[in-house]
Amino acid sequence: MKKLVVSRLISSVPLLVLLSLFVFGLINLTPTDPAAQILGVGAGEDAKAAYRHQLGLDRPLHEQFGQWVLGALRGDLGKSWFTAQPVTQMIGDRLGVTLSLALLALVLALLAGVPLGILGALRPGSVPDRILTLAVSLGLAVPGFWLALLLALLFALTLRWFPVVGYTPFTEDPGEWARSLVLPATAMAVHTAAVIARQTRGALVDTLNAPYVQALRSRGIPFRRILLRYAMKNAMIPVLAVIAVQMSVLVGVTFVVERIFALPGIGTLLMDGVVQADMPVLQGTVVVVGALVLLINLITDIAYGVVNPKVRPR
Amino acid sequence: MTTSADITPPEEQQRHGAARRPVRASRLRRPAVLWCAVFLGVLVLVALAAPLLAPYDPLALDIKNKLASPSVAHWLGTDDLGRDVLSRLIYGARTSVVASAEVVAVALLLGVSVGLLVGYLGGLWDRVTMQVVDALQAVPALLLALAMVAVVGNGLVKAMFAVGLVFAVSFMRVTRAVVLAEREQLYVDAARVTGLGRAHIVFRQILPNVAAPLIVQASIAAGTALLIEASLSFLGVGIDTTQVSWGGMLETARQFQSEQPLLPIFPGVAIAVCVLLYNLLGDGLRDAVGVRDPAAGAPARSARTRTRLSVVERRPAEAAPASAPADGTLLSVRGLTVAAGDTELVSDVSFDVRKGETFGLVGESGCGKSVTATAVMGLLPGAVRVTGGSVLLDGRDLVRLGERELQRIRGERIGMVFQDPVAALSPSHTVGHQLGEALMVHKGMTRKQAAARSAELLSLVGVPDARRRLADYPHQFSGGMAQRVVIAAALACEPELLIADEPTTALDVTIQAQVLDLLDDLKRQLSMSVLLITHDLGVVADVCDRVAVMYAGQVVEVGSTEDLLLSPRHPYSEALLAAMPHGAPVERLATIPGRVPPAWDWPSGCRFHPRCPYAVERCGEGRPEIADGARCVRAAELTLKGVR
Repeated sequence: MKKLVVSRLISSVPLLVLLSLFVFGLINLTPTDPAAQILGVGAGEDAKAAYRHQLGLDRPLHEQFGQWVLGALRGDLGKSWFTAQPVTQMIGDRLGVTLSLALLALVLALLAGVPLGILGALRPGSVPDRILTLAVSLGLAVPGFWLALLLALLFALTLRWFPVVGYTPFTEDPGEWARSLVLPATAMAVHTAAVIARQTRGALVDTLNAPYVQALRSRGIPFRRILLRYAMKNAMIPVLAVIAVQMSVLVGVTFVVERIFALPGIGTLLMDGVVQADMPVLQGTVVVVGALVLLINLITDIAYGVVNPKVRPR
Repeated sequence: MTTSADITPPEEQQRHGAARRPVRASRLRRPAVLWCAVFLGVLVLVALAAPLLAPYDPLALDIKNKLASPSVAHWLGTDDLGRDVLSRLIYGARTSVVASAEVVAVALLLGVSVGLLVGYLGGLWDRVTMQVVDALQAVPALLLALAMVAVVGNGLVKAMFAVGLVFAVSFMRVTRAVVLAEREQLYVDAARVTGLGRAHIVFRQILPNVAAPLIVQASIAAGTALLIEASLSFLGVGIDTTQVSWGGMLETARQFQSEQPLLPIFPGVAIAVCVLLYNLLGDGLRDAVGVRDPAAGAPARSARTRTRLSVVERRPAEAAPASAPADGTLLSVRGLTVAAGDTELVSDVSFDVRKGETFGLVGESGCGKSVTATAVMGLLPGAVRVTGGSVLLDGRDLVRLGERELQRIRGERIGMVFQDPVAALSPSHTVGHQLGEALMVHKGMTRKQAAARSAELLSLVGVPDARRRLADYPHQFSGGMAQRVVIAAALACEPELLIADEPTTALDVTIQAQVLDLLDDLKRQLSMSVLLITHDLGVVADVCDRVAVMYAGQVVEVGSTEDLLLSPRHPYSEALLAAMPHGAPVERLATIPGRVPPAWDWPSGCRFHPRCPYAVERCGEGRPEIADGARCVRAAELTLKGVR
């Protein structure tokens, strides 16, 4: 197991380098001049040149990139061109919001998706199964941010059960923290729950038809016991793979949902970076999110190894 | 919004490609596919004809009428600047269609060409590209699109190009997988078709193969592209203000929904319906072209209870034939008839297994041997039912028992061994865990006691180093060793009857004899009976005391092994014996002409008569009964050849 973790950690380093190189290249392909943007077009050439020098933009590209990578390895992602705040700190301040949102959404999706998938798999083709299939199709099609809008309209604006906008840090008031996350997390969870329910159902139907289930039954093991102790574990293997993909999707969705509920997460930071063409912020955010997704994949891989003995290195 | 969430990894598809197709689903969904295609066609038409259809200019301001509710003038009301919502919806269709089309086009163009190239070149190219692809997949599609917009500026075309890039990754994976699979085969053929260039073959073989999964992916990519376009527009970064987008309309709705709650409804419904259509189209196409979606699953039988219900309700009024089981009989199958719907799989099968004997059930594949065995266990799949006859174990009719009572008999009194030993074990549980399960259920042992007993069992069946191997997983066992494990599991509670369904068929020839010997030994040691199902008369000759020959769902001959081998009484038995390899290597092996007809197409009269060399006219009439051990109207006239 330790070997797996280490080898995966090592193999994720080139991925991260590639990713940052990709973003870096993308940024430098474009003729944006931050000096002109920040100092104003009317600023003198000298002032602009001085500013570019200050940002290190007058140095050769490979040097800039090397500088950035060296910094990134030490945890220094540079400074925002606009606020001069360290990017690492800006991201650190907001990561918690995005992560807690995505995690909460995943937990909700699992709580709903897995039992629904099991329900469908137990009686394929039955009425509940058909209703479920329909609901899953709908869940996959409804945009999360639209759902967020409707939820906000109903529960926050009309019924006033939850705050319309804003975020309370967990450390300040756990109750308020939960209240501020329930609506956005629910809106995000619907799509993921549909994906998980669909996958669980399919995997479990396949598993219940597997020869070893027949073999267990031939030994007089009660069906419930087979389902809970054997079929579920085997069915969860493909579901785990989907969960990894969904985590990355959820992190993406938070960007939009954060905006609706005015939550101070990575998404808002990223949007500011995009709108202002604040390259250090943009690059830092993309790489951090990429690293996060890789980390999630690693965790899923480990879980995968725990469940599936075939991929476990010996 | 979703990256590759709904895109099945190609590896998965490859793996499941071979699985059987859910026939029912594809039949049901065909019209659905048609409807989806029609509706999406309408969407494209609306997009094209937007200027003709829209009652207003989607950008025309009318501040006086802002945030109006639906009325005759504005069917769906107006937004914060008095613009007509219906007209904006119609023009929004344009944006969404363009977005979907662009993503699919970019993904197809890039993904397929890179996939072909990389699969074709292989080696380092392949590895480096896959690394880059993995890096790209670590970024949510939306994030990449955002980065793209930040760098190259606003614009639908630019943003969607980035999304197309993300989808190109999954298109590429599919293409590459197909190329790799094709190449494997082509290496073998390459020698023969040297006349044609390899590239030529590769491309001619591959493109048709990759088309089906790509069409499916394209449909889902189109839906996801629409979602991402909407998200970007909602964030206000995708498109410029002269374009109308459903996502942009939702952003307006967000600001003004407290004043006009209807605003978010229509664009949201439009997005959801379109994505739903794309997805359903993709699902339907997937079924139609036979690419199996592991997530959707087959509309298969429910593994539970149905057997029992059907068995009870469909029993014929009169009881089984009154031939009482002879003394010393353990299992007596009387007139057993099994059907799937209106199709009889097994008709009126009767035989007895005596205590301590090995009874063979022999015949070609498709003769109903395994169905018979499964019926004895009460484990028939959902749609298949016992429609007549009885299965008496020590005089108790198993067909009439409920699931709970059957559970007490399975494992405890009847054990079963299967053809494919590795498939008969759960891949993700240790062998010890699976061996102990029956002991815990039937004997009430603790996990620890069960483990100790399991180790004994493994030694009993000849697995070396038994205690340590309990912690191993099935894939760590060879086929022969795995079969020993399955036998140990079946014997855990020392059943009186062991049903072995082709226990050696999946094993190496050298291992086959060992496993047969083991079964024979165990039979003696545990003084149990064995019902051995096989297509191999050599196996029968080795271990069976008595034997029943099955053909097309019927027992055609029953008797002692010796009688069957030396003086068969049914032409089918003779044909089977003639097809058995024996000694003389120069001699050409006889085969039985024709093959076993399928269950829905059994001939009238003697079911073997179309293939029988001795058939006369009356063989095609009536329903011959078993008389004197053979189901043949000419049994008395014929002198058949046994083993020389």
